[in-house]
Amino acid sequence: MNAASADSGVRIEGVSKHYDAEGGVVRALEGVSFDVDNGEFVCIVGPSGCGKTTLFRIIAGLDDATDGAVYLGGDRVEGPTPDMGVVFQEYHLFPWRTVRGNVAFGLEKSGVPEAERRTRVEELVELVGLEGFEDSYPKALSGGMKQRVAIARALAADPALLLMDEPFGAVDAQTREMLQTELLEIREETGKTVLFVTHDVEEAVKLADRIVVMDKEPGRICETVPVDLPRPRSRSDAEFGGYYERVLDLIRSA
Amino acid sequence: MATDIRNELERARTDEELPLAGVDGSRALLGSLGVVAFLGLWHVASLFQPAYVLPSPLAVGGTFYAEAASGEMITALGQSIQHWLPGAVVGTTLGVAVGIALAWSPLLDDLSAPVVRLLRPVPPLALIGFAIAWFGINNAGAAFIIAIGAFWINFYAAYGGVEGVSEDLLDVARSLGVEGDLELVKSVVIPAASPEIMTGIRTGLGRCWMLVVASEIFGVPGIGRQILRAGQNLQVDVVIAYILVLSLMFLLVDTAFRAVQRRMLRWR
Repeated sequence: MNAASADSGVRIEGVSKHYDAEGGVVRALEGVSFDVDNGEFVCIVGPSGCGKTTLFRIIAGLDDATDGAVYLGGDRVEGPTPDMGVVFQEYHLFPWRTVRGNVAFGLEKSGVPEAERRTRVEELVELVGLEGFEDSYPKALSGGMKQRVAIARALAADPALLLMDEPFGAVDAQTREMLQTELLEIREETGKTVLFVTHDVEEAVKLADRIVVMDKEPGRICETVPVDLPRPRSRSDAEFGGYYERVLDLIRSA
Repeated sequence: MATDIRNELERARTDEELPLAGVDGSRALLGSLGVVAFLGLWHVASLFQPAYVLPSPLAVGGTFYAEAASGEMITALGQSIQHWLPGAVVGTTLGVAVGIALAWSPLLDDLSAPVVRLLRPVPPLALIGFAIAWFGINNAGAAFIIAIGAFWINFYAAYGGVEGVSEDLLDVARSLGVEGDLELVKSVVIPAASPEIMTGIRTGLGRCWMLVVASEIFGVPGIGRQILRAGQNLQVDVVIAYILVLSLMFLLVDTAFRAVQRRMLRWR
C-alpha cells in the first residue's frame, strides 16, 4: 500500500469562491488553476487576504468551491478524504488522546487491525522523532512537538498528498527551522507529494520545488516560480536571495 | 430554575479548580477549625432555646445514634436509594443524550426549542400530580421526580459542552476519514464535551439527593418522608439527624464521582 507510487498529482481547475457580504459579492478566489506533480513539493504564498486558506480548505474538501474542481490522482475531490493528510497551523490535536492515540486515530477509523496499527504508529512516532512521548497528552507537549504529532497523524493512513496550512506559523523561529528540515527529510523518506501554504517567503524558497504566488482581490495566481536550487538550501546563498527577492517583489506588487 | 442550574454548574466548575481538601494541609486544618467553631456556636445558641426549637449538637448526635441503632435509618436510606439511583441514572442518561442530540442537530434544536423553553422552568415538585397519575405512590413515582431534576441539569451541561466543541477538531476528524453524524459524535463530540458533561453529571447527582425530600412528599417512605414527618411533629433533632444522612450521602457520592472525574479527565 504505497500511494506515493500511484498517481498522487493534484489538479486544481478553475477554482473560484464567491460569497455574499455587506457591500456586495466578495471574490475570495477567482479561476485558480495549477497542477502539482507526483512527488512534487509546491508552496503557495501570497499576501494576507489572498484566499490561501480558503484555497487550502477547498483542496482539502472541507469547503465547496463556487466554481471549478479539485482532482487528486485523477479523481474529483468531493469532500474530506483520508487520501489527503491535512495539517493545520494550530495543530488541532485531540487533547483527550495521547500521542499514540492521536497518531492512531485515522487508522482506527479505517479499521486497520490492532497489530498493524501498533507497528505503523511506532514507525511514525520514530519518523517524527517523538520516541518516549507515546503516552503523553498534548497538554504536556511544546508547539513543535504538537506539530510533529499532527504530521505523524496526517501521514498515518499513507495519504497520496500532504496538505499543510502554515504549519510552522505558530512556533518560534528556531523550532520552525528544525521542523522545516525535518519535513524535507520526511518527504525524502516517504516520497510524498506536498502542498504547503505559507505567508513566509523564506520558508517557501527553502522548501519548495515550485512556488505558486497569489494575488489578492480577487484571489488568483499571479505567477509560478520554479525553485532550481540544490538542497539543503541556505538563505546566505546568493541564488537563494535572488529567488527571495523575486517572490517578495511579486507579492508586493500584488 | 434555568439560572439556578447555570449557577450551580458554574459553582461546580470553579470548585474543580480548587485543590482537593486534605491535599493542602492548611486548608484541611482551617476547615476543621470551621467545623468546630460552627458546632460551638450551635451549642451555645441551643442553650438559650428549648430543644424543640434548636436541639444541641450533642442531642442530635444522640438521636442520630438511636435512629441508626434501631435500624430505622438504614431502612429509610435503603428506600431512598431505590428512588435516588433509578432517578439519577434515568435522568442523567436521558439528559446527556437529549442535550447532545439537540446541540448537534440544528433541525432537532429548531424543532424542540419552544417546547424546551416551555418545560424548563417547571420545578420537579410541580410534577407530583403526574408522578402519582403515571406511576402511583411508589418508588417509580418518586424516582420520576428525581429524574426530572437530573434531566435538566445534564441536558444543559451536555448541550453547552457540545456547542463548544471546536469546528476544527471536527474538520480534522473528517479529513482522517470519519464519516457520518454518529461516528463524529462518538469519536470527537462526546470526548471533546466530556469535561462539561462530567460537571453536569456531578452537579446532577448532588441535586438528586436534594430532590429525595421532594420526591417523598406525597407519601413514599424514605429519608425525605422521615424528615417531613419529624418536622410535622416538631422533632427537630430527628429532622437534623436525617438531613445529616442526606449530607453524608451527598459527600460520599460526590467524592467518589470526583475521583472518577479526575481520572477520566486527566488529559486536561
